[in-house]
Amino acid sequence: MTGLLAIGLLVVASMAIGVYGVRATRSTTPDFLVASQGVAPGWNAMAIAGEYVSAASVLGLAGLMLKDGIGSLWYAVGFTAGYVVVAALVAGPMRRSGAYTVPDFADYRLGSQAIRKLCAVIVLVIMWLYLVPQFKGAGMVLHLVSGTPYWVGVVLAGAVVTVSIAAGGMRSATYVQGFHYLVKLLFIAVPAVFLVVHAGEDAREAALRVDPSTWSRPLLDVEDAGHPLLATWSVLLATTLGAAGLPHVIMRFHTSATAWTARRVAVGVIVLLGLFYLFPAAYGLLGRVFTPGLGDGGDTDTVTIVLPGEIVPGTWGALLTALVATGAFAAFLSTSSGLLMALAGGLSHDLSRASVPRLRGAVAGGALVAVLLSLPARAVDINVAVGWAFAVAASTFCPLLVLGIWWRGLTATGAAAGLAAGVVSATGAALASLLTDAGPGWLVVLLAHPAAWTVPFAFAVMVAVSLRGTPPEWAERAVLRLHAPEPGARCE
Amino acid sequence: MSGGPRRVRVTSPQTRIALTRRHRPAQHLLPPPQQGADDEQAVEAARALFLRQRRLALRTLGLLGALLLGLSGLLAALPALDRVTVLGFPASWLLLMAAGYPLLLVLAVTHVRAAERAERGRREP
Repeated sequence: MTGLLAIGLLVVASMAIGVYGVRATRSTTPDFLVASQGVAPGWNAMAIAGEYVSAASVLGLAGLMLKDGIGSLWYAVGFTAGYVVVAALVAGPMRRSGAYTVPDFADYRLGSQAIRKLCAVIVLVIMWLYLVPQFKGAGMVLHLVSGTPYWVGVVLAGAVVTVSIAAGGMRSATYVQGFHYLVKLLFIAVPAVFLVVHAGEDAREAALRVDPSTWSRPLLDVEDAGHPLLATWSVLLATTLGAAGLPHVIMRFHTSATAWTARRVAVGVIVLLGLFYLFPAAYGLLGRVFTPGLGDGGDTDTVTIVLPGEIVPGTWGALLTALVATGAFAAFLSTSSGLLMALAGGLSHDLSRASVPRLRGAVAGGALVAVLLSLPARAVDINVAVGWAFAVAASTFCPLLVLGIWWRGLTATGAAAGLAAGVVSATGAALASLLTDAGPGWLVVLLAHPAAWTVPFAFAVMVAVSLRGTPPEWAERAVLRLHAPEPGARCE
Repeated sequence: MSGGPRRVRVTSPQTRIALTRRHRPAQHLLPPPQQGADDEQAVEAARALFLRQRRLALRTLGLLGALLLGLSGLLAALPALDRVTVLGFPASWLLLMAAGYPLLLVLAVTHVRAAERAERGRREP
């Protein structure tokens, strides 16, 4: 019950910040979608980190650690490394293009409405793949703290996030998400330190003991399929390049005043993520000692929530559980509102004409579909599903943005062919791994973590088909403009 | 509800461009990279800057790949690191949990500074 109360407080505080934000700027459609460009860089970095640290990081990372071993932490390294790619390849030019969504960028660079529509469809695929594990996390957390059935939790979470977006939009989201980053960091870090101290000398030693099983190998061996290095590299490729193609993250760089600030914001995000990712490992390590039962067939994603009660009995345990549950719910709330905004942008801005009421309808519709998809998805590991969203982004928008920004030879036909190849191969592989059992071996690795082949495949198709055509004569100008410093830019 | 100053819709130039784009083909929206100056020369300069930035980007990407593949490859190649203890942690775990982040930050900061230097050089010849 303490947990439910704390989550209630979080929602109320988020709404309060949201309403203050709404008062500050009234929502015309562009403002509603991307906030004004007066957002300070520090807040913007915190908002991006807040939006980005999802249930996958707060719950899924420790859960997967418990299940597959210490090597699961490669996900966290890849999630952070993605911002090196963003800072180096995407943030500045993307800001200069003036585009606020990936479909916008495709339209700017390739001048084709068909590509815009194709991109909008891929946005929907990635966003729903990403939303399902978030809703699973929310339903699970509400179930654990209050005993309500899983489906009630999922539906409730959908209602909360829809109402909070419909009330605010993106402007308030900057502050709400910055606030959520702090909540996540504090509510995960403080209990982690407390639990490590409280667990006792013996438990700490047991948690750090290397045993001969594959669990202790610092590589990602999925379901003991063998080929740990292949799996690790595939996950690294998906998370690192996927971060550079996630539509809801790309949108946020439009809120920077210049390309310079956009790049610096990306660097700030690396600091904030690196700081956060020091803590989830504590839950995975202690979970191996205190909740070994979860590892054999239980839902390992619950470990972060269950662990405090196992280590500290009584009131303090209940209080710590409430803290981590609130942190987890903050992760759900901020990520899923960012995802829903990007999804609604795709539905209402790119696939039809934009207006604020229609955008609100699109948010509600998008949330409804996500809720319905999440109901049967309880058994899917959070990080595995999020990994698929990253793999699809890495196989579609990453090549589109990288080639669009850095190669004038990209043609609309080449982009379309590459996008289609990427989305079909990556989602196909994910579906195949969900529906079939390939047994141990490299095939199961390449289906469950498809980025190792789908990313090179998408790049190759995009380049090969582009080379067969000729880019329009204005293509070079469109590219050069992305790299030309703004005339009035700050210069120190 | 009413009363108070009337709300005026304010958008940045980029937003206006983004909004009007759907009605016009993209090429009309592309002003030359530098107006007024000798166009041919401006395009040449923009091209040079673009190539410099692309070399920088490729270098950073290469270093990032070397860092990630190198670190994971190192842990795969040297299982002995699991048995070396540093600060109470197995060395390989510590490398995975904490070593990557500061290096990633160094990579990003180095890149951004170099990219900004390239742009400054362009603006103040």
